[in-house]
Amino acid sequence: MENKSTSYMNSYLAGFLLGLVLIAAFFVTGRGLGASGAAKSVVISSVATVAPEYAQSHPFYAEFFREGPGPMKNWLVYLTLGVLAGAFFSGAMSGRLGLKVEKGPRISSATRLVFALLGGLMFGLGAQFGRGCTSGTALTGMAVLSTAGFVTMMAIFGTGYVLAYFFRKLWLK
Amino acid sequence: MGPLIPHGFINPDLNLFFAFIIGLGFGYVLEQAGFSSSRKLAGVFYGYDFVVLRVFFTAAITAATGLLLLSYLGWLDYSILYINPTFLWSAIVGGVIMGFGFIMGGFCPGTSLVGAVIGKIDAMFFVIGMFIGIFIFGQFYESFESIYLGYGLGPIFVYESLGIDRDLFVLILVLVALTAFYITQRIEDKVNDTPINVRESRPSYAIPASLIILAAVLLLVLPSSPRNSWDETDAETILSEMAARKHYTSPDEVAFSIMQGKDYPALLVDVRAPEDFKYFTLPGAINIPLNQILNRRWESTLLNPEYKVALFSYSDTHAEEAWLLTRRAGYKDIKVLEGGLNNFLHTVFLRDIEPERKRPDCIEMHTARFQKEAKEYFKMGKAIKKVEKAPTPVIKIVEIEKPVSGGC
Repeated sequence: MENKSTSYMNSYLAGFLLGLVLIAAFFVTGRGLGASGAAKSVVISSVATVAPEYAQSHPFYAEFFREGPGPMKNWLVYLTLGVLAGAFFSGAMSGRLGLKVEKGPRISSATRLVFALLGGLMFGLGAQFGRGCTSGTALTGMAVLSTAGFVTMMAIFGTGYVLAYFFRKLWLK
Repeated sequence: MGPLIPHGFINPDLNLFFAFIIGLGFGYVLEQAGFSSSRKLAGVFYGYDFVVLRVFFTAAITAATGLLLLSYLGWLDYSILYINPTFLWSAIVGGVIMGFGFIMGGFCPGTSLVGAVIGKIDAMFFVIGMFIGIFIFGQFYESFESIYLGYGLGPIFVYESLGIDRDLFVLILVLVALTAFYITQRIEDKVNDTPINVRESRPSYAIPASLIILAAVLLLVLPSSPRNSWDETDAETILSEMAARKHYTSPDEVAFSIMQGKDYPALLVDVRAPEDFKYFTLPGAINIPLNQILNRRWESTLLNPEYKVALFSYSDTHAEEAWLLTRRAGYKDIKVLEGGLNNFLHTVFLRDIEPERKRPDCIEMHTARFQKEAKEYFKMGKAIKKVEKAPTPVIKIVEIEKPVSGGC
């Protein structure tokens, strides 16, 4: 465990570099980072492909067709394509590519995957209420000192700590 | 200067290209930090690995102080950065649901993408779950709408909400983060029973920690920013320019440009109130009331190098105020009609043309002829038809694209 973690970059250096990426994003485009927005674009595009009329009339989906070039030609979609490429490059460089289910030692892979799916579901839902996830609302929001950033960050991590005891079997030895 | 795209330094068409480049950096750093591993991420809740807290808070304090320093130097216009709006209850409800997602799934959206792309199957399931979650929100949007749109407080800042000074808040934030780094390292060592030799072989963080504290203290003690923006002109330059009176343009020159039309293009800007402008103005003039002179929608009009810009009001008082504002904001080569409309009317319409002397010199002769011509020109109403030939201001505003609401 200890050997493996040393192959990662020093956390503070990584945080500093992430801060610089965030500053660059603001300096060039006037806005911060995000990750769940692209997922939303994918969902909206899918709904619009399957049921175009429904999407046009629905208040949640229609917003993205009223103006602009549509949900996929979007800043966050291109940012996310970059994230995927950058992460793949990084994983390949450090020899971390490979199919694998990562889980705590006390649960089966099937349990892990069910909880991963449920966790993703909750995060996807929560990110809608929060107008963004950990990167878009919490991190970016804290960088520009917005109230929303701090409130969301505290709500996410506060809830995580409250629930940690109940979900310990998922993660601990 | 910055942000570059909204300020027009970079073609907005390149926006998506830069999104990709920034994404590359974002993805690379997240993966290198170990964020593709759900067990490392979940460690923050059990004390065996605080990598999330370290990366997250280091990035937040680096970016927060960095953006303020850039803004202090005048390199970044903080006022046009996108500040995410606060919808209080929606943010809390969303955060709590995301907290469930984090502890159950072991990822957040950004990290799950990073994990999925390098082959973590659990991360792929998380991403699929995310799509379902967003779809559920879409399906039940109407029932969620009151929470989603309620308690909208606008793009407020946390230091305003807390009622403390901005720079003091940043210093406190930095100190809290550094304290948290220290304490969590101790907790981590205790939980993992880290051997002493590993503990002692860690690098010292005294220098980076001092640097970030220094930056925060600097922000706190520095007087308010000497310049609000990159292009701002300092007061001494402006005063000397005013004393030299080179920013004036004479009524004759303005009359000449109106008569010549596109051969001598000028944009006459009436800075009076819209009612006065509608009542009467100079031929071809456009109206930018004094209080809107620095509005960004007029920037490209006033800075277009294809024509000369002359400001005017009844006298030259308001035009000169407008000139001061634009000059202070760094605009160059804008003129003020000397004496304003009153002087223009007196000079061009009402002045007596001196009878030509017997042996006039060349300049006198031409001046007298011009004055006579101008007087007739304006009296005959010939100027009116020139209106259509006046340069049409090109108005181009680059708006920051609003993020998909609910995206992140």
